[in-house]
Amino acid sequence: MKLVGIAGSVADKSYNRILLKYMATHFGDLADIEMLDIKDVPLFNESDDQTESDAIQYLKRKIESADGVIIATPEHNHTTTASLKSVIEWLSYKIHPLDGKPIMIVGASYYDQGSSRAQLNLRQILEAPGVNAVVLPGNEFLLGEVKKAFDENDNLKDAGTVNFLQSTLQKFVKFVTVINTMKHPQDTGAENEDLGANGKISTTVEGVDMDAPDWVEQAAEKTHAASGNDYVKLDRGLLTVDQLNAFLNSMPLELTYADSNNQFIYYNKMAPAEKMLAARTPAQAGNPLSMVHPKNPRVIKHVKEVIHALRTGQVPEVSMPVPGNNADKYVVHYYRAMHDEQGNYMGVNEYVQDIMPTVKWYLAKTGQKLEGNPDATTSASVDANEPAADTTSSASVDEAAPTADVPEPKTPETDADSGASIND
Amino acid sequence: MNKFVAMVGTNAKVSTNRTLLQFMKQHFADQAEIELMEITNLPLFNKPENSPVPAPVLAMAKKIDAADGVIIATPEYDHAVPSSLMNALEWLSHRVHPFVDKPVMIVGASYGSLGSSRAQAHLRQILDSPELRARIMPSSEYLLGHSLDAFDDQGNLKDADKVAQLDGLFKDFQTFVTVSGHLNNAKDLNQKDTQNFDWNKL
Repeated sequence: MKLVGIAGSVADKSYNRILLKYMATHFGDLADIEMLDIKDVPLFNESDDQTESDAIQYLKRKIESADGVIIATPEHNHTTTASLKSVIEWLSYKIHPLDGKPIMIVGASYYDQGSSRAQLNLRQILEAPGVNAVVLPGNEFLLGEVKKAFDENDNLKDAGTVNFLQSTLQKFVKFVTVINTMKHPQDTGAENEDLGANGKISTTVEGVDMDAPDWVEQAAEKTHAASGNDYVKLDRGLLTVDQLNAFLNSMPLELTYADSNNQFIYYNKMAPAEKMLAARTPAQAGNPLSMVHPKNPRVIKHVKEVIHALRTGQVPEVSMPVPGNNADKYVVHYYRAMHDEQGNYMGVNEYVQDIMPTVKWYLAKTGQKLEGNPDATTSASVDANEPAADTTSSASVDEAAPTADVPEPKTPETDADSGASIND
Repeated sequence: MNKFVAMVGTNAKVSTNRTLLQFMKQHFADQAEIELMEITNLPLFNKPENSPVPAPVLAMAKKIDAADGVIIATPEYDHAVPSSLMNALEWLSHRVHPFVDKPVMIVGASYGSLGSSRAQAHLRQILDSPELRARIMPSSEYLLGHSLDAFDDQGNLKDADKVAQLDGLFKDFQTFVTVSGHLNNAKDLNQKDTQNFDWNKL
């Protein structure tokens, strides 16, 4: 679990910052806590909108990609600090990253009050409709007389305090899980997966027929796509399109990108279709997934189930060996869910690989050999987590996709994988 | 005639809370001398340990010291006082303490119907803290809801009932200032306590 911690102080020395640091270092087994700095955030002023400034965008990004937030508030004048309130005002003005976000409040103060009033006040602020955070109820952690609370290494001295803080954080971690589960949209079921890609996502290229054999060329023209020597900034590096192609096409993997709208938009054209383990043809790029799979209802159902399981996060990856694998060739199709920084589903990364050369190489290098297990059935090798995919349905690969313009496969055993498909 | 400082509780360029104080200044001109005081241009409070109190803060403290009372108009941001007003009050309780035993009247305006009710309760809590120790007029609230429609082109409050309510409260405040002047048995001690109040010595 990923949490971010905000200390509500811009003072050079802040015991609330020390408290959060202590939590980050000592409770790493409960959650990964990253400290956020609010020092560069200007005082809120609605007449001088700084929402787009680096300091505020940084907080927005970090909070959005975190599962929850821990705020440590000092108490000034019976309330929380202006510097913290100012940050919350920025984060509830034009943008609302705290909306629905689980929050835990802690606080330290010089008084014996331990920031009690500031914490209550902060709850009230976080409940405001523009903020709309979900604050952990109860479980107040008040650290009074804070100057005496830490030793010279900034560790909490009192074991009881440490235990209480730990149990509070444990409850918060559960709370975060519960709240974030509530937020997930209702599961509409696998049957509603639209393999026809009739929907539209922000990257869908409109006005180009998905069926067109030159979809790539048309869509590239429409989007003024980078090509050739144009540079592309990547995470992490910078390549030209030519370099990127050379790189992807030399992968010892057949890669396919199906976006979250179920449109097949890319494969690494490393070889002609007939030389590939799972044949794809240039004309297929751009097709909806329904066009690159057999129309067999059993196959369609299975494809939908796999995509749905990936989209909803039921499984991170599904792997399927193709039928007809033997001692010399063991081809596996892997389907892996892709997500953006905020965790939104971006589509399926399908990669196909013959793992036998690797296995053989390993055996040769280490002087070992494979030993057969008479109890094992080869067809049972389908990922156990795979929802509703029985071993027979994984055999659906033996149905050639009617729309795929693929020559006869060379070996009957691998007849299997003709479609540019998610399913096979 | 009493002299009052009227604090605009926001740094926004346009605010109906400022309009409300401007109306009070002119409407009560025959009863008191009201001077508006802005809280813009203050740095963000960072509890400096040694650096001098910023000049704008000293100037504000001096004005409050010289006044017979303070009127604060607060908007409501996120169910609470705006950070800009909180920031001003943090500065005005750190090494300068002009609010000690100072009579304060709280008013507020909001675009919605609630008229900054929660911000006013919040402001009372803040002004009651040991670092500020203001004397807030008890049991009085002036909540001006739907403030965008509340004033005419000349900046006058349109609703006669609302004007009458403000008239009454302002008279009470004048009385409260007089009464407050008699509550001075602990004054010296309060002053001393606050001046000696030091986070670092707690």
